[in-house]
Amino acid sequence: MEGNSQDERYLEAAAEYGAALHRLASGYEADPDKRRDLLQELHLALWRSLASFDGRCSLRTWVYRVAHNAATSYVIGQRRSRTSAWLSLEEVAAVADPYEGERAADRRHSVDRLLALIQQLKPLDRQVILSYLEGLDAAATAEITGISPGNVATKVHRIKILLAQQFQEGVRNAER
Amino acid sequence: MLSDDICNVWQAQGSGMAPLTLEELRKKGNEFHSTIGWRNFREYLVTALLVPYFGRCAWVTPLPLMRVGNILMIGGLLYMAYQLHRRAAASDSPADLGWNTCLAFHRAELERQRDALASVWRWYLGPLMPGLAVLMGAGCIAGFRHSALAGMLSLMVVGVVALALRWMGRVNRKAAAGIQRQIDALG
Repeated sequence: MEGNSQDERYLEAAAEYGAALHRLASGYEADPDKRRDLLQELHLALWRSLASFDGRCSLRTWVYRVAHNAATSYVIGQRRSRTSAWLSLEEVAAVADPYEGERAADRRHSVDRLLALIQQLKPLDRQVILSYLEGLDAAATAEITGISPGNVATKVHRIKILLAQQFQEGVRNAER
Repeated sequence: MLSDDICNVWQAQGSGMAPLTLEELRKKGNEFHSTIGWRNFREYLVTALLVPYFGRCAWVTPLPLMRVGNILMIGGLLYMAYQLHRRAAASDSPADLGWNTCLAFHRAELERQRDALASVWRWYLGPLMPGLAVLMGAGCIAGFRHSALAGMLSLMVVGVVALALRWMGRVNRKAAAGIQRQIDALG
């Protein structure tokens, strides 16, 4: 019985959040082959975890927590073999080139540059920006990440400024 | 509004990949357990090979101090295998991924890494140290009995091993301090 319920919950979660999991994986891994492996790991972690899901939080919160936590574990493991350090939102804003946005002329380029920016971030900042891009509000992001709603709002404010600096022209062109 | 535009562009990305079927997930779940089992098996295999080796050395050596050193090595290896078994059994709880917020999970992951580095001497290398020290001491005594040159060479080996262990300890402490800084930065 438990197995059936786990499978049903997984199918429901995969149908509703499968695309979001794919986008989330792309925020944690740049290499397409490794990203595919990571996405499979996220699905596996979700399926295994759902055997213990008892509805104390919403399915959406559970799915995002499992995905972010499994992906964070993955990047912490990967980081041992990489030399580059993660940056905070403030540090990224300080080193980013604001004029680069003007050269980002199409949608694909905008997404690629957005991914490059996200993949530099520290895990918590990465979780907040990914939640923001998925359209989650501050309360939902706070429940997933464990950061206070006020802190989430502050980070979202910084994210909006950063995105405005980086993507003003690129996104406008992509929408035309 | 720009931020809405970029969110729309982000959410418009297609997944481009078919989801895993339940059968594939079950298969991957079994592979996951096999991988963990194989990793643990390799650790036990090393112990299973080294214990008879030190046992034979203890049996055939004419030097009492060497015999004591070999027996201490066996004790250290068995203790190390017990600790590996205990720690492997305690890990891997998929529910933690959903119960913990990202902040709590990240902190727990870093604390686990820090504690593993800090405790590696207590349960991984530490139990082998008495046996290693006695064996090296016995080797030096035997070396000096043979000739001054052999004794000096034995002492040099002891020095190199001591320096290597000290270097490992320093690297471990530095790595643990780096992880502690990351934990502190989480607030």
